Amino acid sequence: MDILSNIPPHLFRMIIAVAVVLGFVFANATVMGYLERKLAGRFQRRLGPMEVGWHGILQMPVDGIKLIAKQLIVPDNVAGILFYVAPLIAMSPVALPFLVIPFAPGLQVIDLDVGAIFVLTMISFNTVAVFLAGWSSNNNYAMIGAMRAVAQNIAYEIPILLSVLAIGLMTNTFSMKGIIEAQKSIWFIIVQPAAFIMMFICSIAETNRAPFDLPEAESELTAGFHTEYSGIAFSLFMIAEYTYMFVNCCLVATLFLGGWKGIPLPFGDYSSCIWFFAKVYFLMFVIVWCRWTFPRVRFDQLMNFAWKYLIPFSLVNLLITAILVKLL
Amino acid sequence: MNDKILIDYMYIGLFFLCGIAAAGAPILISLLVRPRTKISQRTLQTYECGNIPFGQSWDFRHGIGFYLYALMFLAFEVDVLYLYPVATVFHKVPAFRAVGLFVVFLGILALGLIYAWRKGVFLWTSEKKIY
Repeated sequence: MDILSNIPPHLFRMIIAVAVVLGFVFANATVMGYLERKLAGRFQRRLGPMEVGWHGILQMPVDGIKLIAKQLIVPDNVAGILFYVAPLIAMSPVALPFLVIPFAPGLQVIDLDVGAIFVLTMISFNTVAVFLAGWSSNNNYAMIGAMRAVAQNIAYEIPILLSVLAIGLMTNTFSMKGIIEAQKSIWFIIVQPAAFIMMFICSIAETNRAPFDLPEAESELTAGFHTEYSGIAFSLFMIAEYTYMFVNCCLVATLFLGGWKGIPLPFGDYSSCIWFFAKVYFLMFVIVWCRWTFPRVRFDQLMNFAWKYLIPFSLVNLLITAILVKLL
Repeated sequence: MNDKILIDYMYIGLFFLCGIAAAGAPILISLLVRPRTKISQRTLQTYECGNIPFGQSWDFRHGIGFYLYALMFLAFEVDVLYLYPVATVFHKVPAFRAVGLFVVFLGILALGLIYAWRKGVFLWTSEKKIY
């Protein structure tokens, strides 16, 4: 009966945590949507959104209202219930990775022993949603996009797993807090630069972002897997994509950039989340930068890059790590 | 200890349920506020650049290459997952034994990759020789 007395304080904490996280998911999508359009404009020597509000700052809320008030068009020959379920599957696990992400020493919801693996598992849910969306649309473009998405996501999952494993060999734990504590003296980006680069490339590919955005390549597949989705269903896919982007960057920042570590601040238990957010949003900026700088790769190049370069190199990297950990 | 696990599961369950609610709520709002004008039958066709859609897209065949990639993935993913428990106890095992077993395991894993490479799994149709 001990458990019954334990639950009420946790229940209170749970409700606050879930409200903050879901609020953050939508806020992050809004901010990133605005930043992406603004930065894209800057990279292409134009202004980006300027009309709504000061420097177009209200553009995304207005777009959100427009998308939510659009007609829901469900084509005749789609695969019934699966067509509705796909955006729900894309969106429903987005809150879960935030459970284990350590924003600051005092700002982590729960610290699972399998934290890093848990985050990877939740990220790969997106593949299921993308494939379901493409399959149920009964549209050739969507179908090709879905096939590509699955082939690409499973290929780029393996180097991520191997890079996380290389970190795991050094820390002997997969708890997110434990990994950050292990970087007390030196960030792992200095010890494992190859793993960092491979992991970062793979997280761009995992979130289906350019130059690896073959599932939604607009010049060949109109809109790829979400061709048939309009209005709010489309924006659910977009919100999910931005959230997975954020979660991927959180994982990279935790594993390689020392998480919340930085110049000590007063009330460090909570205020050091500033460093964490700075690192994460810097990585997101780099992803947006890559998107508007590099041309899209061809599909066979994309697959061969994963199987012929990233996977052999990450295997070698893992082997070297295993030997060096025992030698030193 | 069991209490902690139970509470962790409660957190995960609550976050998952709230995630579903957060995904469903915008759709529900959209269902309530959407305009209900009459739309023509052609709006309900799937998009195919203005042509009348031809056949069901499920009937079209895709390259066998996708299937081979999926097989490769299964082999790799499952094998790599076996290494995760190894990583957590790696510091407790004597150096020679740990590294030796690790090399053997990774070697067999790499052999699978080399075999597929030699067999031409990573070649695309245009470059494929006939075996």
